[in-house]
Amino acid sequence: MKRNYQLPITNDQFRSAPRRPSQLVIGNWLLVICCSLLFPATLNAKEELVTLPQRDSVQLTIYNSEDLTLVRERRTLSFKQGNNRLQFSWANTLIDPTSVEFHPVGKDAQDALEVLDASYPAESHEMLIWTVACTKPAGYSVEISYFTSGISWSAEYTGIVDAAEGSMDLTAYVTVHNNSGEEYENAQVRLVVGVIHMVERIIDLAQPRQQGAPRPMPPAELEELERMAEDGINEDPGTGMAKPKEIQKAGLSEYYIYTVEGQETIPNRWSKRLRSFVVQDVPLKTVYRLEPDKFGPSFTKVLEFKNDEEHKLGKEPLPDGLIRLYKDAGQGRLGYMGTLASKYIPKNEEVKINVGPDAECTLKEKRLSLRKKDLVLDQWNRLVGWTTVEDFELEVRNFRGRDVEVEIHRSMQGKFEFDSEDAWEKHDADTQKIHFTLKAGESRKLTFKVTTKNGENAR
Amino acid sequence: MRWPIPALLLSLLALTAPLQAKEELVTLPKRDTVQLTIYNSVDLTLVRETRELTFKKGNNRLQFSWANTLIDPTSVEFNALTNPDKIEVLDTSYPAESNQMLIWTISSEEAVSAKVEISYFTSGISWGAEYHGMLSGDERSMKLTAYVSVSNRSGEEYENATVRLVVGSINLVEEIAALGGGGRQERMKEAYGKMREADAAENRKKDIVKEGLSEYYIYTVEGQETIPNQWSKRLESFVQEGVPLRTVYTWDARKYGAQLVKLLVFKNDEAHKLGREPLPAGIVRLYRDAGQGRLGFVGQVATNYIPKNDEVKVNAGADPEVQLKSKRLSFKKENLTFGWSGNRQYLAGWDTVEGFELELKNFRKRDVDFEVNVVLGGDFDFDSETASSKIDFQTQRFSLNLKAGENRKVAYTVRTRNGSNVRNK
Amino acid sequence: MNKRMIFTLAGTAALASVIGISRPTTVEARIKLATLPDKEAVVVRFDHPNQVLVEEERTISLQKGVNTVDFSWAGTNIDKGSIVFRPVDVNSKVEILSTSYPPGEAALTWSISSPDARSEKFRLSYLMANIQRETDYRAIVSNDEKTLTFRHYFKIRNWSGGTFDSADFITRDGKTFEKGLDQGEAKRVLVNKWDKVNLNKEYVYDLTRQYEGKVMTDYVLKNTKEMGLGAIPLEYGKVRIYQDDGKGTTAFTGEDWGQFTAVGDDMRLNIGIAQDIKVEFKKMVNDVENRRGNVYDTNEVDEYEIKNFKDSEVELTLVLRVQGEWEMQKDSEGYTSFERVDNETIKFKVKAPAKGAPVKLKFHYKRLNNW
Repeated sequence: MKRNYQLPITNDQFRSAPRRPSQLVIGNWLLVICCSLLFPATLNAKEELVTLPQRDSVQLTIYNSEDLTLVRERRTLSFKQGNNRLQFSWANTLIDPTSVEFHPVGKDAQDALEVLDASYPAESHEMLIWTVACTKPAGYSVEISYFTSGISWSAEYTGIVDAAEGSMDLTAYVTVHNNSGEEYENAQVRLVVGVIHMVERIIDLAQPRQQGAPRPMPPAELEELERMAEDGINEDPGTGMAKPKEIQKAGLSEYYIYTVEGQETIPNRWSKRLRSFVVQDVPLKTVYRLEPDKFGPSFTKVLEFKNDEEHKLGKEPLPDGLIRLYKDAGQGRLGYMGTLASKYIPKNEEVKINVGPDAECTLKEKRLSLRKKDLVLDQWNRLVGWTTVEDFELEVRNFRGRDVEVEIHRSMQGKFEFDSEDAWEKHDADTQKIHFTLKAGESRKLTFKVTTKNGENAR
Repeated sequence: MRWPIPALLLSLLALTAPLQAKEELVTLPKRDTVQLTIYNSVDLTLVRETRELTFKKGNNRLQFSWANTLIDPTSVEFNALTNPDKIEVLDTSYPAESNQMLIWTISSEEAVSAKVEISYFTSGISWGAEYHGMLSGDERSMKLTAYVSVSNRSGEEYENATVRLVVGSINLVEEIAALGGGGRQERMKEAYGKMREADAAENRKKDIVKEGLSEYYIYTVEGQETIPNQWSKRLESFVQEGVPLRTVYTWDARKYGAQLVKLLVFKNDEAHKLGREPLPAGIVRLYRDAGQGRLGFVGQVATNYIPKNDEVKVNAGADPEVQLKSKRLSFKKENLTFGWSGNRQYLAGWDTVEGFELELKNFRKRDVDFEVNVVLGGDFDFDSETASSKIDFQTQRFSLNLKAGENRKVAYTVRTRNGSNVRNK
Repeated sequence: MNKRMIFTLAGTAALASVIGISRPTTVEARIKLATLPDKEAVVVRFDHPNQVLVEEERTISLQKGVNTVDFSWAGTNIDKGSIVFRPVDVNSKVEILSTSYPPGEAALTWSISSPDARSEKFRLSYLMANIQRETDYRAIVSNDEKTLTFRHYFKIRNWSGGTFDSADFITRDGKTFEKGLDQGEAKRVLVNKWDKVNLNKEYVYDLTRQYEGKVMTDYVLKNTKEMGLGAIPLEYGKVRIYQDDGKGTTAFTGEDWGQFTAVGDDMRLNIGIAQDIKVEFKKMVNDVENRRGNVYDTNEVDEYEIKNFKDSEVELTLVLRVQGEWEMQKDSEGYTSFERVDNETIKFKVKAPAKGAPVKLKFHYKRLNNW
């Protein structure tokens, strides 16, 4: 969508026809900046209009935990000596009116300009007027920033596992979704990883019925992030062949900011996927696990790696997103393994990907025997205490043509004693665990005895 | 000729490589033979037909369609009976536009003529057994005639088919009628209305050859049969004169209710001039000669499959000439024991002692056998001067023989321990 | 002017997926011109138990600089998130910069940069829904029931919306067959055939499988090479069993669902009821003993009278269950062997003589510490 840049307009025109096509048209809604110099300082006085300046740059900071995007745009405006009135309106947008801010950019501008007040005229809730005092008439660069909703981003991962399941090539992507109604052309894009705290939703603040709601203070962390933005830009002239864009990652407080190299154009209602990083040969381990707390009741195949240097990762946390796993089927061809939703993975954290039960490595538990002993009767000959002794057998069978690692967690209830000749170890108060390797085509039987005291015997 | 089934169409398509190419239809060959293997435990018939087909060298496409039939499309198979090493099915294609058609791609090493077999499952044809027993005047023997009836509600006429009947209970995991597609219910309804029995009087009775296979028996009807749609046809399976028969008057509340019933018993073994094959499940009807060539109905039973050497009992119902009455003659409580709850005494245990009398009356002019089963519960002692046998932990049986016109009384007592008197045996 | 090329699957009228190419511009008018690179080397993989992965290769003419390539798949069920797109040559200098997804369309555009004008072969992998698969088996059992011929069929039905003029279909065990497959069409192919597979026939009495107490006939196939199978795991599927009737033809003797059977494991198939073997159950003793307050033991004798009406002896397996704590008593008799499978289950083997001569299994046990 092309932008039409502005002819001078009168305030009258502006009031009567705020959506004229000659105004700055963005997507299917209007964002209007009208800069006027006012002599004398009354609203009804004749206004002299200045040429509406081009937007010099725009930067989007998109959050994935909330429907929130911070937009910063820069324009160069001419100011005259004395009080300047600057009108900003945003009819039919998803902008949070409480978030709109005006900042002079650069020392000269900051020295020369001062915002005296911002007034919100009664007749329009989608407009504000700044009164800016200027001590030295000139053209200055100013930044207008605000929050909007409708833009989001998400992470995705594609892992291609080698035939031996010993390593994988991991590609991370970020996808930006633009449903804001606005086309952002040549915007610098920054993505925030992390869960921020919001007391009100931007989409609600953007609605007219929310007018008059008290203005929420942006969280302190956000202010900090905004300042971070000043030095985030990393433009590359890109001589010769274009390469996939670098996505710079920097940590801040509890958050990470991903800055996409260069500029992006994301038309309204489009999504755009960019490669975040590629790492070849991330070492991978396959463990067959029975861990009902983590992976449900089935004996399941789990692929494991760590987000650390040893695994060629660990440079940044991995935002939550879908991980799609393919296996190398030879000759560059792929086979599909599975897709799962991953949570946010901090640096150095283990990643365990449950790819589901595998019919070629099975586990079966049997209760071999049950005995009751130490029966206690009370004075009325009623049973009040007893102890059960149960023998169990777990058989793990590996039908695969390769060795596998196995880890089994077994929980008990009540006041029990656990006894086995196999190398179980205590995992927590109720759970025993064992870890071993099973050779190709082998099976192994584990036996254990659980003695449980009940009733009086448990006292 | 009504067979082949008009709806079944077999066409050989000359194959030129691409699918869209014009298909050349080769002359439809005549069906040479057809064989029906009919199951009685499930609604299933295996149809096999053979034809002589000519294949050209290379790939041949053979189309088989079965609109408006009850054929299970997943069951259709192609087999080369001659030249099987030269002919190979490459794939079976089920086109989208028709779910009642398939096309085989068949490669042939050279131009050959081959006898091929096409087999498939259909539903709607069934068979059942029936038995007809004519008792002798003294009820000590009978003439037993076994029949098999084939019913055709498949919507097709089967002409000159070899018919095989399978006796046995095979496992089916899905109903063939469901796999064969819709329209079945309506057709069944229609067919029931019109069903009638074919004239069994044929020129000559046919032999039915019986052979075992795995857990089943296969009855093959000699020669060929034509079974029109919606007809049933009954064939004689065997006739046996002088099958010995035993009569036992039985009292067993769990099987026959409170009344004394007359059971006519024979065995499917050599001693009873039977035992050559198991008897498939069916209705056994017994008649007696009521004089002047008239039949009197004695009783019937729907029997399960009767293996060789197993016994058959036909319930002929109550017989007014043979009676049994049970009476409780006495009832008393003994061995009362008391317990204390605080300072209150209560009844904790007791025995009941009951005296029973069975009165058996035989008004018939012949000896009869009785089998009287007494069912008891709880912690009991059973006592009688008449001999009895323990059938299971709660059943005692008197086996008795009464002469013609004899009356007999059988007494027994039952002591039942209750409450705290129940023993630690 | 936008220059954009479109590629269809195979030049058939039924257009399934389309690739187009254009010089980089904004995307307000996505014009699709019709110079179509053919889909090459199409592979359809069934190695995942419930997803189908399709791979295809396309040769695309790229110009120096950034190219926009358009891929659309209207009418077919491609999972767009699953699309993996990369040059076939792993050392290719061509780079995929980004992927854009237009609103409301089954389409995407790739931004591809190329160091020079060249023809590059790409491989495209994606999950496709509504391609159904089914495994079934045909077993022809020898007349003596000692061996069988086992045929493994694979059937695919294509409801994906796309048409495969020719593709390599690859089963889970790696068998490949090249076929064409129209939308809506199904194809069934013989993928494996094993001759002379050893077979064990078992007669089983088990109330949890046959509640009326009838005796089942099972065939047990061991999935090993020694027994004639064993090269691959056997997929779940219906097994139809026919037996050689000794007269040059066969009779259908039953069917069952064959469970997924890993190499080394057993496939157990129930073919039907063995009607010539009857089992009659009677409880002969059912006493309470050893009372301690409200706690007691029971003393129970279960009797199973087995009659085998066949002309030869058979071995019957009885799978019996007793709940709770219990012990079998030594005077149990009538069996040739037994196995306590687990606490609740005991398995007896009983030899039953021919021609209906009854044999009794006496199962004497005590259930302990009930309340």
